[in-house]
Amino acid sequence: MRNVLRIIRLLVAADPWAMARGAALSVVVLVMGAALLGLSGWFITATGLAGLAGIGIAFDVFRPSAGVRFLALGRAASRYGERLLTHDATLRAIAALRVALLRSYARTDAKGLARLRGEIALTRIVSDVDALDGLLLRLVLPILAALLTHIVVFIVLGSLVGWSVALVIFAGYLPAAALVLIFLARRTVCLSAQAEDVGQQLRRGIIDMMRDREALIVAGQLPRSEAGLLAMDDQARAALAHLDRAERDAASLFSILVALVAMGAFAAGAYLLEGNAIGPAKAVVGLFVALALAEAVLPLRRGVAELGRMVSAAGRVAPQTAQASPAPDAAGDTGEAPLLSIKRPEFELDFFAGEAVVLTGASGAGKSTLLMQIAGIDQDDDIRIKGTRPSFWVEPELRGILAVLPQRSGLISGSVRDNLSLSGSHCDETLWAALETVALAEDIRARGGLDTRLGEAGSGLSGGQARRLSLARILLKRPEIMLLDEPTEGLDDHMADLVLTRLRTALPEALIVAAMHRGADHRIFDRSLRLVR
Amino acid sequence: MQDEEVAAVPNCRVRAKARIIAPVQRELRLAGWLSLAAGILWPIQAGAIAWVVSGWAAGVPATDQIWTAAAVFILCAVLRASLEHRLGALLHQAADRTIERERSILISREARAPGQAGSASIASLVVQKLPLLQPWITRYHVAMVRVSVLPFLFLLLAFSQSWVVGLTLLVAGPLIPVFMALVGMAAEDASRRQMDEIGTMNEMLMERLSAMLDIRLLGGVDRAAADFSDRAESLRKKTMAVLRIAFLSSTVLELVSALGVAMVAVFVGFTLLGEINFGSWGHPLTLGQGLFLLLIAPEFFQPLRELAAAWHDRAAGFAVVAELDALDAADRVAFVGTGLPATPVAGAICIKTQDVVVLRADRQVRVPDFEFAVGETLALMGPSGSGKSSVLAALAGLLPLHEGRIIVNNCPLDADTADPWRARIAMIPQRPHFPDVTLRYWLDTGQRGADPWHALRLADATEIVERLPHGLETRLGETGGGVSGGEARRLLIARALHTGADLILADEPTADLDSETAARIIATLKKMQRDGRAIIVATHDPKLASAMDRIVEVGQ
Repeated sequence: MRNVLRIIRLLVAADPWAMARGAALSVVVLVMGAALLGLSGWFITATGLAGLAGIGIAFDVFRPSAGVRFLALGRAASRYGERLLTHDATLRAIAALRVALLRSYARTDAKGLARLRGEIALTRIVSDVDALDGLLLRLVLPILAALLTHIVVFIVLGSLVGWSVALVIFAGYLPAAALVLIFLARRTVCLSAQAEDVGQQLRRGIIDMMRDREALIVAGQLPRSEAGLLAMDDQARAALAHLDRAERDAASLFSILVALVAMGAFAAGAYLLEGNAIGPAKAVVGLFVALALAEAVLPLRRGVAELGRMVSAAGRVAPQTAQASPAPDAAGDTGEAPLLSIKRPEFELDFFAGEAVVLTGASGAGKSTLLMQIAGIDQDDDIRIKGTRPSFWVEPELRGILAVLPQRSGLISGSVRDNLSLSGSHCDETLWAALETVALAEDIRARGGLDTRLGEAGSGLSGGQARRLSLARILLKRPEIMLLDEPTEGLDDHMADLVLTRLRTALPEALIVAAMHRGADHRIFDRSLRLVR
Repeated sequence: MQDEEVAAVPNCRVRAKARIIAPVQRELRLAGWLSLAAGILWPIQAGAIAWVVSGWAAGVPATDQIWTAAAVFILCAVLRASLEHRLGALLHQAADRTIERERSILISREARAPGQAGSASIASLVVQKLPLLQPWITRYHVAMVRVSVLPFLFLLLAFSQSWVVGLTLLVAGPLIPVFMALVGMAAEDASRRQMDEIGTMNEMLMERLSAMLDIRLLGGVDRAAADFSDRAESLRKKTMAVLRIAFLSSTVLELVSALGVAMVAVFVGFTLLGEINFGSWGHPLTLGQGLFLLLIAPEFFQPLRELAAAWHDRAAGFAVVAELDALDAADRVAFVGTGLPATPVAGAICIKTQDVVVLRADRQVRVPDFEFAVGETLALMGPSGSGKSSVLAALAGLLPLHEGRIIVNNCPLDADTADPWRARIAMIPQRPHFPDVTLRYWLDTGQRGADPWHALRLADATEIVERLPHGLETRLGETGGGVSGGEARRLLIARALHTGADLILADEPTADLDSETAARIIATLKKMQRDGRAIIVATHDPKLASAMDRIVEVGQ
């Protein structure tokens, strides 16, 4: 529940003023609707009686009929305003929430980032956030508006017509509607959470199946995986069918409730009339108002049926948005300190601009971890860049002087240009120069230039091409420190030699720290460090 | 060109209806009848109220008739509630069947024969957009049936009491369909744009998330967030455009109907006062008649407004169907065979390629002619990008052949032989991809429930698994986050060994490995050869290549 409240606060905070106006208008709409029907009923009855009594001329027709027109137009206009304001504010908040979630995923440390499963984060940012858009629009605002409207109507009706009529409507609608809604909520809260949950599993399952396609085919498991997804779909639809049933039950109860309350108000009016407390025209007002209030009660069931979905989504989204803010960013540069210093059990060394260091060691010795530590996204107690711990740097400044080639090339679908521009835009000549350095220009030119489209996760390039494209991307940053994890992965010896040599020539001033299995004896490296676990 | 486009719109609507609506016609028709039955109950309820109030005016004691009228009113309400309950069930079934059908088409096609669309956008179509067909199915048709009957019925009732009221409604009513037709086109366009944006946003997000480590390290988080923020904003604008049209049109309709009702009320009021002496048949309008007219006037407009709302649902439905149609028509590359588990092909492994060319997205890859038999090991070598991986894919029947043929165990590799052939193959892909399952499940590709430790030992991977906090129950990141690159590679090898297959197709099996581990892997491969397995590797590693019996150059 705390999570739900946090999300509600977040949605309101996006534009509280618009939300407040929208909420006020939604009450206005309902009150005007009740007033419109009540006034019309009164008007017709009153005029009919006046006509019968032969005092038609004396009857003031203009004010009531102007009132009817005003209420009719006013209600339509307020409804338009209310919808526009609340939807616009909510959608704004939703868009902002999506971006905040994306940023929170980007902030996690090396382990979190490496373990980040795209499809899981995707369902958080898309499905869960979508589920939350109804929280205000279909749940909180309608319930608040219905409550307020009932209170207003109770007071006005009580003083104008009679307290018995007002009480029948108030006490008829509120407790019974609350009961129906509570019953509906209890029945659906698990169902709708389950429907959402299975739906998300389905979404992830489809992405997983398509991305793991080849392995599934070779293993003869594709049909099985398809069958698994179809079973998931059956489950999701079964939950939705139960949900639909529950909602229809509630709808039926509501429409019977409306009839009961309307007739109750009608009868209460009749008894007042019989006791000569009021005239026939006032006696019908309660009936018409009760019919109009159906509009306040009927829509509530939709939001309540979604409650389970919203609560479970809020439970997943809210903790993610609340994740720790970026590390304490202290100042960077401290003058004379070496560019990079590393303290480890095996060695304690300083490194300076223009050096090239190769890290070796058995698979699992911690080469990649060390690079991530230097990059400031892993435990970095014993590492200093210009005298400051990497994670104490201001993030953009650190990224400005440090470029990292992670072990696996993370490419995206889109053009070659899109891939090169992930960190910033460059002119075409610069892009080509970088491609030239990594000996990829020829290949890219042959395939159609910078606008060549790559498939999902950069598919369409061979392993070695993908590697070189990732290298070109970090070259474009012209960093002071270049951390390379297996830069020659997927390249033949000739190509590996060419790329390393050109890399060194292209950035002679940069400190290169590379983790390599093969080719660690390349001539560009001045030093070799062996890591042991 | 322009004419073609204009002609294409109704055409695709016809197709959309044939695809989505025609199969559920029976339920929709029945639901239509039920909704009509529910609709004609209201005049009875209105009549009951009017009867009581006109009794009051005639001096009947106020509470004499009230309970009879209340009983009639409530009975009708109960009846209507149960009719609507039933028709809701029918409509839900119809929509449910449709969604089930469309989902199963997508699920059993998109992984088999992928087109251009990315996995995230397919997933969003299946999970997010297909359900948008539901309101179209459940609301539009019923609204159409109600519109074609109920307004006429209420009009008739209105005329029977007063021709002026009837005429008022007759003038105001048709404004609604005219207006609807005007907004209809705009609504459809807006919906289509919104659908497209949903797909684009999903795909973009998925890609950025998958490459998040790189983006963070490149200092591109702000830029990625800004790009994504643009997309999310654009989705908001497009959603708002759809909503604005919907809100505006429903407001205009509400205004038209409110004004119609207000005019009826004012006219009835003046007539009852005796200031207007025309408009009714012979005798002046009574109070009961007046109330009755006031109560049925809003119901005259109600079906028209429902239709207008459903019009937007239909527009959204058309947009979804347009997307489904586009996917149906997309170019697809299928694999060879069915993908079902099959009895392994008999005989010792042998392969012969003859003039094979395979199609890969934008280019053709020529496969060198070679022969290969069990007990042999072979290295495919060639410059980066020359198509080594494509050759391996073709040998496994993952890519259709454009020209030439591959003979496996003396039969051509085709739809009939591919599955039995693959039953003897294990592949070690170049890029590790770990789906969201436990390691135990992932290692056991055939889901035979066998013990994976033997294979892990063979691949030198036991300690990797032992070091993981949850051991075999660990779920790794998409590209193997949680273990190092070399470790991921060894896990892939263990998985291939675990299948028991006797032809191993390995794409760069020694990539990311230090020379010791690489040497051990090479030794493992040699041992497998001695055990009677055939091995083909695509590699740049000269050590690995020289350990193989033969080298075939690709891309010459």
